[in-house]
Amino acid sequence: MSLSAPDQAKADLDATGRVTELAAGYKPLPGIPDEFIGADGRPRAHWLRFLDTLMEFSAGDMNRRFATADRHIRDTGVSYRAYGDTSERAWPLSHMPLLIEAGEWREIAQGIEQRARLLELVLADIYGEGRLIAAGELPAAAVTGSPEFLHPLHGVKPPGDKFLHIYAADIGRGPDGRWWVLGDRSQAPSGAGYALANRLVLARAFPALYRDMNVERLAPFFEAFRFGLTSKAQRSDPRICLLTPGPFNETYFEQAYLARYLGLLLVEGGDLTMRDGKVHVRTIAGLKRADVIWRRIDSDFADPLELNARSRLGVPGLVDALREGGVVIANALGSGVLEAPAMMSFMPKLCRTLLGEDLRLPNIATWWCGQGQARRSVIADMDELAIAGAFGNPVLGFARNQPLVGAALGAEAKSRLAAAMTDRGVDFVGQEVVNLSTTPVWRDGRIEPRPFVLRVYAARTPEGWNIMPGGFCRISGRADARAVSMGEGVQSADVWVLADKPVAMVSLLPTGETVRIRRIMGTLPSRAADNLFWLGRYIERSEATLRLIRCLAGRMIETGAGTANPGSAVSKLTSLLVAWHAAPVEAVSSAMALAAIALHGGEDYGSALSLVRDARRAASFIRERLSTDTWRLIGDLKQNLSIDGQGPLAEAETFERADAALRTIAAISGLAQENMNRGAGWRLFDTGWRIERGVNTCRFARHFASGDAPADDLDVLLDLVDSQITYRSRYQMGVALNPVRDMVVLDSFNPRSVAFQVEKLDEHLETLPLLSDDGMIEAPRRLILQLAAEVATATASSLDNEKILGFEQSLLGLADAIAARYFLQGPHVARADKSSGLA
Amino acid sequence: MIYDIRHLTLYEYGSTVTFSHCALRLLPTDGPGQTVLSSELSVTPAPTQTIERMCFFGNRLTFLTIETGHRKLIIEANTSVEIDRREPLDEGATPAFEMVREEAFASTSFERDSPAHFLHPSRLAPRFEPASDYARESFSARRPVLEGAKELMHRIKGDFKYDTKATVVSTPLSEAFGKRRGVCQDFAHIMIAGLRGLGLPAAYISGYIRTIPPAGKERLEGADAMHAWVSLWCGEAHGWVGLDPTNAMMIGNDHIVLAQGRDYADISPVAGIILGSREQDVDVKVDVAPRV
Repeated sequence: MSLSAPDQAKADLDATGRVTELAAGYKPLPGIPDEFIGADGRPRAHWLRFLDTLMEFSAGDMNRRFATADRHIRDTGVSYRAYGDTSERAWPLSHMPLLIEAGEWREIAQGIEQRARLLELVLADIYGEGRLIAAGELPAAAVTGSPEFLHPLHGVKPPGDKFLHIYAADIGRGPDGRWWVLGDRSQAPSGAGYALANRLVLARAFPALYRDMNVERLAPFFEAFRFGLTSKAQRSDPRICLLTPGPFNETYFEQAYLARYLGLLLVEGGDLTMRDGKVHVRTIAGLKRADVIWRRIDSDFADPLELNARSRLGVPGLVDALREGGVVIANALGSGVLEAPAMMSFMPKLCRTLLGEDLRLPNIATWWCGQGQARRSVIADMDELAIAGAFGNPVLGFARNQPLVGAALGAEAKSRLAAAMTDRGVDFVGQEVVNLSTTPVWRDGRIEPRPFVLRVYAARTPEGWNIMPGGFCRISGRADARAVSMGEGVQSADVWVLADKPVAMVSLLPTGETVRIRRIMGTLPSRAADNLFWLGRYIERSEATLRLIRCLAGRMIETGAGTANPGSAVSKLTSLLVAWHAAPVEAVSSAMALAAIALHGGEDYGSALSLVRDARRAASFIRERLSTDTWRLIGDLKQNLSIDGQGPLAEAETFERADAALRTIAAISGLAQENMNRGAGWRLFDTGWRIERGVNTCRFARHFASGDAPADDLDVLLDLVDSQITYRSRYQMGVALNPVRDMVVLDSFNPRSVAFQVEKLDEHLETLPLLSDDGMIEAPRRLILQLAAEVATATASSLDNEKILGFEQSLLGLADAIAARYFLQGPHVARADKSSGLA
Repeated sequence: MIYDIRHLTLYEYGSTVTFSHCALRLLPTDGPGQTVLSSELSVTPAPTQTIERMCFFGNRLTFLTIETGHRKLIIEANTSVEIDRREPLDEGATPAFEMVREEAFASTSFERDSPAHFLHPSRLAPRFEPASDYARESFSARRPVLEGAKELMHRIKGDFKYDTKATVVSTPLSEAFGKRRGVCQDFAHIMIAGLRGLGLPAAYISGYIRTIPPAGKERLEGADAMHAWVSLWCGEAHGWVGLDPTNAMMIGNDHIVLAQGRDYADISPVAGIILGSREQDVDVKVDVAPRV
């Protein structure tokens, strides 16, 4: 429906009125540059254009769009941890982007490009010839003071002679309105993935606005970065790994996200091993060469043999592999030395010496106090300066990276500082006091100025540095701020670089002929295989437990709660739940309470909730391998089972909740069957699931179909394995032992029978890769072939509990054999956590 | 004086180790007043690969790859070293400590003996104010640097008790300082942290000390094991001077240098063996015999 002309005119008028109102209510902080209001005190044209378009949405529509954006973040799991957090936090995205128009962006991009070139030369000289130090351009002590200067790397030439592959700078608008570099990120800059996630969320919430504003796309930058990584490898079509510190890192989400987006193999240190001067990934098909490592672990942790001996995140011998030129590491180990504030004081001069140019983007004026003259003047002018650690070290016991403003210090603190600077001037820099400039944020229908820092990224490509047109913007929660790191109250914002003309659509799709067709996505690392296997087992174990609970609640409803003699079926169900550690043995007195505890009790490791938590944890280690939908469903499952205990649930409620959880599991199973690529990952996941189901079905059969089982027990068993309808249609008479045993254990047409699981397991193990080409079958396959023969030749009448127990133990033996063959062994293991006591 | 040194390291594991990388710093190098006559390393089980390199600080570094399954790893280093050191410096003739630190701050050398490498906090000799304050008492204004350092060395010997039970390799410096107890490694780290706290470059030296005392002299602490001491940079003109806070003596002909670095972490004799497992045991034996 379109508006008639007079209505349209009225709406336009309304929009204009609201923009005027917004602008009038916006008060930049005195003396501090702002993005919306220019130095002349008037709104900048591109911001007005943006607000005009935005205000065409009614307030209700806009709120709905903002809510959609927030929901999208929650649903897709965009998250981070503040340092020390145990759980992830949802990503706080500002509803307003930061806007930068084309002309201004060109200056920023050129400045970042120049700085990347400069830093590469400085780094190469520090770890190489050392001319700058010998010539007195860079004092030796200003280099060695950085904990990121790594002696073992001195003299190690990186392959292709390049140290930096990705670089970022934090910039802000200085008091004169120009952009300034506040800090360099040369080690392993984070945030690029969040920038990408921010873009997807905001562009989805306001597609037309995004298009009309001619916003530059981010995809070409990532394409260039990936290509740049590839180009330094020794082989064509190299294997590129993203080395992560693991799921407990602050930015693990981003690492998994980028690995997925760029098609990289996400690995932890334990996945890699150094042999003969080369680095390999431990996979289920043996060792596979890792050609390029994009590291997100700090250099010092990369090699316990030559660097930090306490590190459990690295790869022993990695530094030696670098010496041999056997692997490309981006960025080179030790490149964090450039991040020291001390370095800033030398950059203006180094730029002239090395490039013959002035810095296009100035950095904060900085004086390193290791030099006598600089120190004396910093001490003398302390009131006009900020004092910071020269190497990111804390000053006078204050937190890291927290510059002290001289003017704010008392006389006693100032004299203490001066004394410390006299002893060890090398540890201090004096810096110009910087106030961050502000940008509008949306709050309760108004816009308000908030200080921000913009991180801009540069990626090395064979053609030179490529600058991401956009960036990672952090906005402070408070009106006055000097530094912004992600934490309480801080938001991030999408950064829109506005082109002069419409922007062509590009996404990360390679062009035609150069791509080799492949159907299997590389090799599966052993650690990922381990976690996939356990994810399958935990989910199936939850399902079996939920079936017991649902069945128990169902019986209670039928027989009526509080019956004095609940019958053998009910007591068998409760005893099995206790045996599986779903509920404590004391709970047996009330079947109703026991069912509720088994469902959502958090104490017992076998409760449905505990098992789902374990499943979620296993999933968190392999998040980049799961579809967003699967991850969400596992999250939902956990959410729905976590109920605050307000007294025991009624039978009907327990039944309903267990039933709902089973439906979610059915959805997860459906996704796995219908959407998961049939690679080794899916096979390991399904193998875990099948083994667990086989074991549980054996246990159900032994428990409810022993030789003297009453009909009622057999009936429960048919419920548990979901085979009531099939049974009734196949056998006209009532339940009887042999037909039930056959259907539950031996009938390979029944997808819940033990026989069916065994057939599937054999299929999987036949397809998984072999370690050697000598034509011999491996241990797990040998076991499953044996078991398959036993199951296939057994008959219902020959079946007894002992035989079923034999099947069960064979399956557990198979699980061990699979672990020994496919998963990580040895000291550097990152095993899935098996706290649930599953064998 | 010529010394024959045998350094034996034995690891026993609770389960079979099938693959390991390790890095050894067990072979000495020539240096001022020290000549290596012979050196030999033997490892059981035999490594599949042995690579020898010189590390940044000039120590011999041997990388081993062992691919034979083993529950016991035996590393034996046999070396013969001739020691003939100069008489120690006249401490009164060394420059004022303030001069030395200014000189160190401004150094344009990046060679391995540059003071710049030994000026800053390091992993096991971190910034620790109480140690700096303790050291400061020996450095009144314009005091010759070596005079202050010798006094500091004597104070450590006097104030700290040698006690092999008080600390282990991983005990942080602050704890040993607080207890006023420890072994050579702790005393060296404390002295280094104190000197660096005043802006003075100090290095950590590991090595050996003669086991059997000369007739009529007391047996020195730290024999039968690896020993460690401190080297202080006394300015461009005087260079590095060794001080042994455990025995309160200047480095002379009883000390044999094995390796030097910023602290123990730079030069641990065996790196890469995963420690921490309860099922693992390590045993070290050192014999230092003067040749007669």
